[in-house]
Amino acid sequence: MIRLDNVTKIYGKDTVAVREASFDIPKGEFVFMVGPSGSGKSTLLRLMNRQEQPEHGDVWVAGRNINEMPASRVPYLRRTLGNVFQDYKLLLNKTVFENVAFALEVIGKPRHVIERQVPLVLDLVGLAGKRERFPEQLSGGEQQRVSIARAFVNRPLILLADEPTGNLDPTTSEGIMGLLNEINETGTTVVMATHDHRVVNAMRRRVIQLDNGVIVRDQERGVYE
Amino acid sequence: MFSRIGYAIRETWASFRRNLTLTAAAILTSAVSLLLVGTTFLIQRAFENLLVQWRGDVEMIVFVRSDASAEQITLIDSVLRASPTIIDVSKLKYLNKTESYEEAKRIFVGDPVTLSLLTPESIPTQFKVVPLSDDPTLVRSLSDQYRTLPGVEAVALAEDEFQVISTLSNFIRVVTLVMSLVLLVVAVGLIWNTIRTAMFARRREIEVMKLVGATNWFIRVPFMLEGLLQGLLGGVVSCGGLWALNSAWSSGVASFKPGTGISSLIVPSSYLTSVMLILLGIGAVVGAVGSAIAATRFLDV
Repeated sequence: MIRLDNVTKIYGKDTVAVREASFDIPKGEFVFMVGPSGSGKSTLLRLMNRQEQPEHGDVWVAGRNINEMPASRVPYLRRTLGNVFQDYKLLLNKTVFENVAFALEVIGKPRHVIERQVPLVLDLVGLAGKRERFPEQLSGGEQQRVSIARAFVNRPLILLADEPTGNLDPTTSEGIMGLLNEINETGTTVVMATHDHRVVNAMRRRVIQLDNGVIVRDQERGVYE
Repeated sequence: MFSRIGYAIRETWASFRRNLTLTAAAILTSAVSLLLVGTTFLIQRAFENLLVQWRGDVEMIVFVRSDASAEQITLIDSVLRASPTIIDVSKLKYLNKTESYEEAKRIFVGDPVTLSLLTPESIPTQFKVVPLSDDPTLVRSLSDQYRTLPGVEAVALAEDEFQVISTLSNFIRVVTLVMSLVLLVVAVGLIWNTIRTAMFARRREIEVMKLVGATNWFIRVPFMLEGLLQGLLGGVVSCGGLWALNSAWSSGVASFKPGTGISSLIVPSSYLTSVMLILLGIGAVVGAVGSAIAATRFLDV
């Protein structure tokens, strides 16, 4: 589903964010990218949705080399990906329902599809009763659920989550991880960057560890060391 | 498709209201520059009218010395009539002393000093000549020939006045055109800045749109519509201004005596209408271009 071949990403003149990274993530897998801040986890995720382009190497997503893709095709690539962030990136002037509907609206989905899909996904993330609330009326965990609902409403092949539990307490984090697990079980490939020991150790999934932009460990059913 | 159009219109309107002051500034600037463009068109047309009218009027005056004898005047008259292929004999007209003095009183009504130097006795009489030929060199050689006749004091060519007016109108045209072009660039800049501000205010929204896979055109269209609307509104305001300006001008000119040439400065309303349509067109294009530039720059992240 995702393959990186000798990928090197350099910021500016000589800041190497990722050095010669290669790995293969099959369909339906759940993968943690771990490592300290600045180790290159986020950069790897940004390479996968073409927010960044590598200096060397190729990134393959769903069978296509996304670095050779013309810019006009990138929006269609992104419709097969869901993104979840540490800071949720919700629109504060829109309600829960509108935030999720927005993702369908801007890719031109008709109203009746939106009316059908959004309640379904809000039900999945457990926010069916709060659809008319605004983000500021919700707890951090609830806001992250809205953001996950927005990422998942279009049924993406892959979910990219960058520190989704970074701002949340342990109990809330557990809930979010349960939700991501549920999404993974529907067949969606999940790639999650984190430096949260507890969630990694609790899940026992594949772990790719980075240090200074270099992959130092790639282990099935791993823990955070 | 319908939902997309609905989305674009809703977003345009919302953004329009959010940046009311900047929007007003952009509209006013484009209105002022478009008004200047329109005024240029009208001035040009008015001068053209004037020149056309003057061309069809008297083009040459042969002034006869006040002490010229009756024989000399008869001679001049016969010389003028001797070349009916070059001058329009039927329009040839001689003004005697009284008539010339009456005309001088009319011409120098605003210049009493000059008028006081003239008396019905000392004033030169004049032949008004309408050349048939449009060729300026032929008319000029003819006037040189008349100048040598005994009793002729001077020969005045309307062609000379014509040159002055024509140069003047060219000058005014260039100046107003340059000014309006500069102002148009300023208008594009202001619309560009308004759209950039609008996009900056919504950068978070745009980021989310890009991440969930909205195309650049989908994001851009509401902003371009907003710019287009600003330019178009500027055009509408400038049309109103132009109409008011033209009405004031027309009624002012209409109070002059007809036949003095001034009345030809009135521009026909059909011409005014087409100028207004042109202004609306320019406004819309300027707005769309300004915002397209801004939107494209901002999306290249």
